[in-house]
Amino acid sequence: MNRVAFFRFVLCCVSPLLFAGCGKYDPPQFSLNMVAIAKQQLPFDQQQEVSNILDGMFGTPDKPFVLGQGKSIADSETGLDPKKLAVAAGPVRSDEFGRETGLYRRHCGHCHGTTGDGLGPTAMLLNPYPRDYRPGKFKFKATERAAKPTRADLELIVRHGVQGTAMPAFGLLPDAQVDALVEYVKYLSIRGQVELRLIDAMAELGQDEKLQLTRANLVDEILKPIVESWNTANESIIKPEDKPDVELATSIDKGRELFYGTKGNCAKCHGPSALGDGQTSDYDDWTKPVTELASDLRGEEERLRTDTDLSNEDRVALKMHVALASQALKADSLPPRTAQPRNLRQGIYRGGRRPVDLYRRIYAGINGMPMPAVGPASPGAKGTMEPDEIWSLVDYVLSLPYESISQPPHHQPATLSKANF
Amino acid sequence: MNTVSDVKRDLWDDANRWPHRCAVALVCATFPLIWIGGLVTTYGAGMAVPDWPNTYGYNLWLYPAETWINGPWKLFVEHGHRLYATLVGLLTIAFLVSAWWCQARPLVLWLGAIALAGVLFQGALGGMRVIQDQVQLAKIHGCFGPAFFAFTVVLAVVTSRRWQQGRLSNQLGLGKIERLAIMTTLLAYCQLVLGSQLRHLPAGARPGDFRFALVFHLLTALALCVAIVFLGLRIVRTQRREPSLLRPALGLASLIMIQVTLGAATWVAKYGWPSWLTDFGFAAAYTVAADSRPQAWITTAHVAAGSLILATSLLIALRSARFARASLPVAAGAWIAEVAR
Ligand code: HEC
Ligand code: HEC
Repeated sequence: MNRVAFFRFVLCCVSPLLFAGCGKYDPPQFSLNMVAIAKQQLPFDQQQEVSNILDGMFGTPDKPFVLGQGKSIADSETGLDPKKLAVAAGPVRSDEFGRETGLYRRHCGHCHGTTGDGLGPTAMLLNPYPRDYRPGKFKFKATERAAKPTRADLELIVRHGVQGTAMPAFGLLPDAQVDALVEYVKYLSIRGQVELRLIDAMAELGQDEKLQLTRANLVDEILKPIVESWNTANESIIKPEDKPDVELATSIDKGRELFYGTKGNCAKCHGPSALGDGQTSDYDDWTKPVTELASDLRGEEERLRTDTDLSNEDRVALKMHVALASQALKADSLPPRTAQPRNLRQGIYRGGRRPVDLYRRIYAGINGMPMPAVGPASPGAKGTMEPDEIWSLVDYVLSLPYESISQPPHHQPATLSKANF
Repeated sequence: MNTVSDVKRDLWDDANRWPHRCAVALVCATFPLIWIGGLVTTYGAGMAVPDWPNTYGYNLWLYPAETWINGPWKLFVEHGHRLYATLVGLLTIAFLVSAWWCQARPLVLWLGAIALAGVLFQGALGGMRVIQDQVQLAKIHGCFGPAFFAFTVVLAVVTSRRWQQGRLSNQLGLGKIERLAIMTTLLAYCQLVLGSQLRHLPAGARPGDFRFALVFHLLTALALCVAIVFLGLRIVRTQRREPSLLRPALGLASLIMIQVTLGAATWVAKYGWPSWLTDFGFAAAYTVAADSRPQAWITTAHVAAGSLILATSLLIALRSARFARASLPVAAGAWIAEVAR
C-alpha cells in the first residue's frame, strides 16, 4: 500500500472516533402516531393538540398517570395501579434493597419503543416485528377474537416469551416486576388507543370547529369505553365445551378432512403439507395502516404528476400531504412484511401447546393476523364450525408433527392434485 | 533517549525489573475490570448506586462489606466495579512510583504519568455518568476503558527486555507488518466504538440508528478479519522465527475466531435465531431468556474479547515498530512526519 494513502486511511479512521458519542441526551418523549396522522391528514396545529391532550391525560414516560386515576387502585376510575406504573416507568434505577424502577426502559423499550409503538431501535432487524401496542391488539390470548387479553394472558407472554421470535421470556424476573410490566403494557396500549380515537375525532371536525376538551368528551366518551374493554376481558374468555368422546384416530381423520376441505381451508395458508408454505401475501393489522398510507401516497404522487387541472391551492395542499406521508413512512414505520403462516409440522405453538390453547387459537383465529376465526364471531352467534369439529382440528394439528409428509392428505385441493399426479 | 548504559542497566539489573513487573500486574488487573464494567452494562446496573464518589453516603472503601456482598446483585456488581477500579488506580500509581524509583527512562515516566491521568479521567467519567445519568457518558466510559487497557499493554511492552534489545537483525517484512498491525489496531478500536453504540441505546433512538451501527459493526468485523489474516500471513511468512511476533499473531487469529462466534452467539442470546432459520426445529423452538446467565456472560465475553483483540494487535504494532528501528522516539517522529506530509 502506498504510504501516504495509508496514513490518510489512518486519519480517516481516527477522526470520527474523537467525536463518537458526543451529543446531549434528552429524557425520552412519547412520539405521535404519525402514520395515523398522515392518513387523516391532520395539520400541524392539530397534531400539536393531540400531543398536548395526550400529555394531559397520560403524563410522560418518566411520570405516567391516567386521567381519572386516584392515589391508589381503589379510587382509580381506570383500574390501572399508579404504583405499578411508577415501578415500570422512568429511567433505570435500583436501590440498596433491590427495589428497581424503570423496568420497561431496561427490558422492553429497545424493541417495543418508548411509546409502545413497536419502533424501538432494534425493531427493524427482528422478524416478526415487536408488537405495536397502540391499536390494542394482541395475538396470543384466551379471549374472543375482538376482546382484549386478560392480565393472565399478558403475564404468560411476558414470563414465557414467544418461541421462535425475539420476544424474550422474562421468567427470571420477580412476579411483582412482571406484574408491573403488564400494567405498563396496558397503560401504553390504552394510551395508544386513545390517541387513535383522538386523531379520528380531530379528522371529523368541520372547518373552524375545535375538539371539546371536557371531561365528558375526553374521559366518558373516549377513555372509558377503552378502559372498559380491558377491564371486562375476563368475561370474554373462551370456555370450550368438553371434548367429545370419540376415538382419537377418527377425530384426527375428521380434522384432516376439515383442514384440507373448503370449510376449514387451513391449507390455503398453511400449505398443502402444513409446512406454512401456503398463501403469504396478506399483511397483519399492524402493517395495514402502513401499506394503506403507502398506496395513498402513490395515488397522490400520481395525481400531482398527471392532473393538470389542479388549482394552485389544491396542489400546495397535496404536496404538503405527500411530504407528511412520506416522512411518516420513512421515519415512523417499518418496511411492510407479509404475514407468515406457521409451519405446523414443528409442533411449536406460540400461544401455548395445551389442547385448550389450540382450541382457542383455532376458534378465535389469531387476532391481528390473517388467520381467521372458525368459531362464532360473538358468543351465541353461529360460527363456521361446531365445537366438536374444532376439537377434531385440534387433534389433527397436534398429530401433524408425527404424520409422514409423503402420506397424501385425504382431500387434495383440486389445483394441487394436478400438480402432484 | 536510551544510551547503551541505560539499556545495559535495565537489562541486567534485576532490581530494575520492577516497572515491568508492575506494568504486567496492571495489564492482568485491568482485563477483569473490563469484564466487570461490561457486566455493569449488561445487567443495567449503571445506576445501582446513585451517588459518586460515595456509595449510599459511605466513603467508597467504608461501605459495609456485608451489605455489599449480601445485597442485591446490581449493587454487588456496581459497587464491586468501583472498588476494583480503585485497585487498578493504585496499581497505576505503583507503576509510576516504581519507574521513578528505578530511574527508568523519561519515556517510561511520561507514559506512567499519562496512564495515571488516564485512569483518573476514566474514574471521573464513570462518576459523571452516574451523577448526570447520561447514556452517552456511559458509552464514552465504556469506550475509554479498553483504550486504557491497551495503554497498560504499552507500558508492559515498553518496559520489557525484548523491547530494549531494539532493532532486529532480520528486517524482512517489518514495515508491512507494522502498518498492517496499526491498521488492525485502529479497526479493532473502531469496532469497539461501534459495538458500544449497539449496547448503549438511548431511549429515544430510532430503528434506523441501530441498524446503521449494526451494519457497520458487521462490515468492520469483516475488515478486521481480513486485516488479521493478512497480518498473520505476513508474520508467518517473514518473521516465523521471532516468537514475540509469531505468538501474538497466532493469538490474534484464534481470538478473532472466538470473537466472531461470540458475536453471533450474542445476537442469538439476545434476539433469537434469524427468522430464515425457523424452518429448523431448534430455531423455531428457541426462546430468548432475558437476563439469564448465558445471555449475560456471552454478551460480556464478547465485550471483553474485543478489548483483548485491541491489545494484542497493539502489541504487534509496538513490537514491529520497535524491531524496525533503533529507538521509538525516532519511530514516532517518522510517523508524525508521514501524517503531516
Ligand atoms: C428483543 C426484542 C423484545 C424485547 C426486549 C421485548 N419484546 Fe415483547 N415482543 C417482541 C416481538 C418480536 C414480539 C412479537 C411476537 C409475535 O408477533 O409473535 C413481541 C410481542 C410482545 C407482546 C404481544 C404478544 C401477543 O400476544 O400479541 C407483548 C405483550 C410483549 N411483547 C411484551 C413485552 C414486554 C412487557 C417486554 C419487556 C419486559 C418485552 N415484550 C420485551 C420482541 C421483544
Ligand atoms: C388466512 C391465512 C390462514 C388460514 C386460512 C389459517 N391460518 Fe393458521 N395461521 C396463519 C398465520 C399467518 C399464522 C401465524 C400467526 C403468528 O405467528 O402470528 C397461523 C398460525 C397458526 C397456528 C399456530 C398458533 C400458535 O399458537 O403458534 C395454528 C395451530 C394454526 N394456525 C392452525 C390453523 C388451522 C387449524 C386453520 C384452519 C381452520 C388455520 N390455521 C387457517 C394463517 C392462517
